[in-house]
Amino acid sequence: MAEKKIGVVACSGEECLGGTISRLAVRKIMEKDRPGVTTTLCLPLFIAGDGGEREFAKNYPTISVDGCSKCCAKRAIEKFSAEVSGSIDIEAIIGKELALDAPLSTRNLTEHHQKMVDQVSAEILKIYDSL
Amino acid sequence: MSKVKVLPCSGIGKVLGLLARESVLMVTQDKCPDQTETLCLAQLVTGDDDVINRIKGQACITMDGCPKQCALKSVEAAGGQVAKSYKVADFMRAHRGEDHGTATALTEDGWNYAEELADKMVEMVNELRGEV
Repeated sequence: MAEKKIGVVACSGEECLGGTISRLAVRKIMEKDRPGVTTTLCLPLFIAGDGGEREFAKNYPTISVDGCSKCCAKRAIEKFSAEVSGSIDIEAIIGKELALDAPLSTRNLTEHHQKMVDQVSAEILKIYDSL
Repeated sequence: MSKVKVLPCSGIGKVLGLLARESVLMVTQDKCPDQTETLCLAQLVTGDDDVINRIKGQACITMDGCPKQCALKSVEAAGGQVAKSYKVADFMRAHRGEDHGTATALTEDGWNYAEELADKMVEMVNELRGEV
């Protein structure tokens, strides 16, 4: 397992299910799978350049987790900081139709959605543990 | 009239970001689905042409989790007309001491507060549409 901090950045997209899944998968990594060694960065704040986010991504490995194939998180990190150490496109994991489905409130989270979260977090962990 | 655009920051580090996100989803999915819509802030801030075209010159409401106000700044930068910007903390005084949950999940108090935030936004939507 990686010893040093790793940044995991979700797009948190508001227009599709993939955005919700990206967010939940990153929170799961932070809270359950790799607590204490995982940092997340707020994507809008990262792009605004109003904090230490860009510096963090220059100095530490980051993994982008995007809800759709536009890959906003990955593109933003690579534009403003450095190449990502790994990237996840949820559309490629759960399929385009599901990924682009309506955004989900966490109060409507079903077992089916939780399985998607688990599937995505498992892919994040594969990258995580290779770093 | 075009749908009012309602955008949260969706900050991921604290419960404030989740409160912003969930309150906006209440507005756009449950309370005013025919009068409002949300747009993807990540696409907006990365300069996606489609989203920029949809927001330019349009009436917008933003709900930010922290004082950095990323949603407000991003909408303004993209040419959206911000009719009202809120911060989650704006109405917190009456809720001091409550546990609203985490950035992953809201508690019952958190859901109640999100509902209150959503109702504030609905009032503004109605005002913008001349329905009050």
